Amino acid sequence: MKLSKLTLATLMSIGALSAAAQAEDKVFVGHLADMSGPTAFVGKEYANGIRDALAYINKNGGIKGTGLEFETIDYAYKVPQAIASYKKWKTRKKMVAMQGWGTADTEALISFVSKDKIPVFSASYSGHLTDPQGKNPHTKKPAPYNFFYGASYSDSCRALAQWAAKDWKTKGGQGQPKFTHIGANHPFPNAPKKACAEYAKELGFDVQPPVVISMKPGDFKAQCLSLKSSGTNYGYIGNLGGSVMSLVKSCNTVGTDVQFMSNIWGGDRMIFEATGEGIKNYIFPTMTPFWDSQASGMELVKAISKMSDANGDKLRPHHYIRGICSTYYMKEAMEWAKDNGGITGANVKKGMYARKDWVPVGLEGVCLPATWTNEDHRGIAEVNIYKGNYNKGDVSIEQVDTVSLERRPEWLGY
Amino acid sequence: MSSLAMRPCGDFRTSYRQDNTIFETQTIRWFTILAIAAACFAPLVFDAYYLTLFIQVSYLGIAALGLNILVGFTGQISLGHGAFFGFGAFASAWLNTSFNIPVVFCIPLAGFLTMAVGMMFGMPAARIKGLYLAIATLAAQFIMEDFFARADWFSGGSAGSLAEPISLFGFAFDTDESFYYVALFALVFMFIWGCNLMRSRDGRAFVAVRDHYLSAEIMGVKLNKYRLLSFGISSFYSGIGGALYAHYLGYVSAEGFTIFMSIQFLAMIIIGGLGSIKGTMLGVIFMVLLPEAMESGVGLLKETDIGNSPMLVDGLAYIKEMAIGLVIILFLIFEPEGLAHRWNQIKNYWKCYPFTY
Repeated sequence: MKLSKLTLATLMSIGALSAAAQAEDKVFVGHLADMSGPTAFVGKEYANGIRDALAYINKNGGIKGTGLEFETIDYAYKVPQAIASYKKWKTRKKMVAMQGWGTADTEALISFVSKDKIPVFSASYSGHLTDPQGKNPHTKKPAPYNFFYGASYSDSCRALAQWAAKDWKTKGGQGQPKFTHIGANHPFPNAPKKACAEYAKELGFDVQPPVVISMKPGDFKAQCLSLKSSGTNYGYIGNLGGSVMSLVKSCNTVGTDVQFMSNIWGGDRMIFEATGEGIKNYIFPTMTPFWDSQASGMELVKAISKMSDANGDKLRPHHYIRGICSTYYMKEAMEWAKDNGGITGANVKKGMYARKDWVPVGLEGVCLPATWTNEDHRGIAEVNIYKGNYNKGDVSIEQVDTVSLERRPEWLGY
Repeated sequence: MSSLAMRPCGDFRTSYRQDNTIFETQTIRWFTILAIAAACFAPLVFDAYYLTLFIQVSYLGIAALGLNILVGFTGQISLGHGAFFGFGAFASAWLNTSFNIPVVFCIPLAGFLTMAVGMMFGMPAARIKGLYLAIATLAAQFIMEDFFARADWFSGGSAGSLAEPISLFGFAFDTDESFYYVALFALVFMFIWGCNLMRSRDGRAFVAVRDHYLSAEIMGVKLNKYRLLSFGISSFYSGIGGALYAHYLGYVSAEGFTIFMSIQFLAMIIIGGLGSIKGTMLGVIFMVLLPEAMESGVGLLKETDIGNSPMLVDGLAYIKEMAIGLVIILFLIFEPEGLAHRWNQIKNYWKCYPFTY
C-alpha cells in the first residue's frame, strides 16, 4: 500500500512536471517597431498588424500547439536601442525569429542575425537584402537570415517604370518621356535610385537628375519648379507621409504636370485624407488588397484586426495587412520547422525555402504567392499598381495594373 | 596627497604635482585598478545584453569625451559631433576594405582622418564663437550627412559599408564577449589619455581659452592654435568611437549619424557635467541606461494580462519617450552642473559628516 502511494505520488509529480514542461512549450519572437520615431506615420500601422497577428496566432493554438511569446519594443528608429533589444531577446528569451522594421536597424543587425541564426522579417525592402549569398557584385553584405514580404524597393520602382512606359504609349505621348527620382538624400529613398534609373533608361526614358526633397514636410515649391523646368513627365517619390503631402501641394501651386508615383510607404488612404483636394491620379504599388476587398483571405485579416479593435470599426491601411502577411509567412515557416527538427532559427529559415509560390493558409487573395530560395530572397516579383484620387471627401482607389517582373540574375541584391 | 589613503578635510596641496594628480588618494587609485581588473571578468558573469550595454557605453563614451574636451574644457561648441562619429565609422571601414589595412590599424588611422576633417570644419572656430560657431558646425553635420549618402566610393552610398571584425593574430573579436575586451581596452586607454591631456600644458591652455580668452591670449596662449587643436582632438576621439562602433556592428549605414546623435552627445556631457572626465562617463552611462531602465519598467507592466493590449503598449511607448525627455529636463533644472557635481557633493557630505557645513 505504501509503495503504491509512493508510486502514485511519483507518477503525479512526473505528470505535474510534464504538464509544466508542456505549459512552458513556448518560443519567443521579438518585435521591433517604430511607433514614436520619424517613421511612425506608417510604422505604427505595420506594427499593429504584426502584434495583432501574433496575438491571434497565440490565441488560436500557436504554432501547432507551441505558444508564441512575444514582446513589442518601440525603438523609435534608434539603432543602439534596437541592438540592445536584440541582444536582450537573444540571450534572455532565446529568440527564434524577429519581426523588424527599418533600414537602419535591419542593416545594423545583419551580421548579428547571420551569426546567431535568427531569421529577421523586416519592413525594409532594400534590394541588397535579397541576396543571401552575396552573388551580385553590388551586394555589400550577404544577408542570409533576412527576409521581407513584398517586392524590393528597386523592383517596385522598376514595376512603376514599366507602368509609366505603358501609360506614356496609351496616352499617345511623343518622344522620350522624362523620369525623375524625387526624395531625400537618405538611404531609404535612395535605395532604388540607381537600379530604377538604369531600368527606366532601358525602357526608353530620359532620366533626369534626381530632385532632393527632405523627409520632413516643408515648402517644396523650388523643387517643383525644377520638375517643371526639366519637363518631367513621371516622378518617382521615394519619401513617405508628410513630405509626399507637401510635395503634392507645392507642385499644385507651381502648376506642374507630373505624373507622381510613389514607393509602397508613400501611398495609402491616410495620405489621400491628409492631402485632401489636389491629389490626382496618384500612383502607388501595394502587396496586398485594400480593406474593402472581397478576397476570401480578408475574413482572417478582419478577425485578426479584432484583436485590438473589438468592434471592428477601424479601417486598416495596406501596411497593416502587409504586417499580417509578414507574420504569417513566419508562422508557417515555424510550423514547418516544428515538423522538421524543432523551432530553431536555422529551421525556420529552411522552412522559408520549403515551398514554392506559397500563400499562408487563410490569407488567399491577400498575400501574394511568394517563393524564397537559398540563393534568392526576392520573395515576390509581382507588383500591383493602384491609382488614387480624392474627390470632395471621398477617397477612391482603383487597381490599374499588375506587373510581373523578370527575376534577372543581375537584379538580385540590386 | 596621492600618497594619502583618505581625502583630508581641507585643502593641503602645496605643489602643482599634487594639484594635478589623476587619483586624489591611494584608495581611489586602488579602487580604480580593482574595478578595471574586476571588469576583465565581466564576460564570465554577465550575458550578452549587459555586455552590449557596456560596449555601447564605451564607444559612445569615447566620442562623448571628445565632445567634452571641445565644449566642456575649451568652451567651443559643436553640433556636428554625430557626423564626425559617422565619419570615423566609414573611414575605418573604407581603409580596411579599400587598402586591406588590418582593422587594428584602421581604427587609429580613422581617428586621424576624422581629426583632419574635424580641423577643417573647425577652422571657422578661429574667427567665430558661440552661436555662430554652433551654426557653422551644424552645417558640418549636414554637409557630412550628404557626403555619406553620395560618396559611393567612401561610404557605399545608400547601400552602406561593410566593416570587418577586428582580428589579431588570426583571432576575430566578433562576439560580444571578445569585443567587450576591445571596448574595455579602448575605453580605459582613451580615458587615461584624456585625463593626462587635461593635466598637460595643452590641456591647461584649453581651460584658459575657455575661462577667459583675452587673459589667455595675454598670457601667451595662441587662441587659434588651441581652438583648432581642440577641434582636432575632439574629432579624433569621435573617430575612434565611430570606428569601434563600425567594427562592432560589422555594417555602417548613413542613416544613424543624424543631428539627433549630435544632440544626444551634447545631452550626455551636459547631464554628466561639462568639463569633467568622470562626468562624461556618468553622463554616457545615464543616457545608455535610461531608455533600457524605462523599457524594463514599462516591460513589467507588459507582463500583466492587460499590459500587453495594443492600446496600452502604444500608450506606454509614448510614456517611455516622454519620461526620458522629462528626466533630461529635470536634470537641467535641478542639476545643471551634472552628475559629476552631484557625486562631488555626496563625497563632500561624507567628508564633513556629521557637520554639514
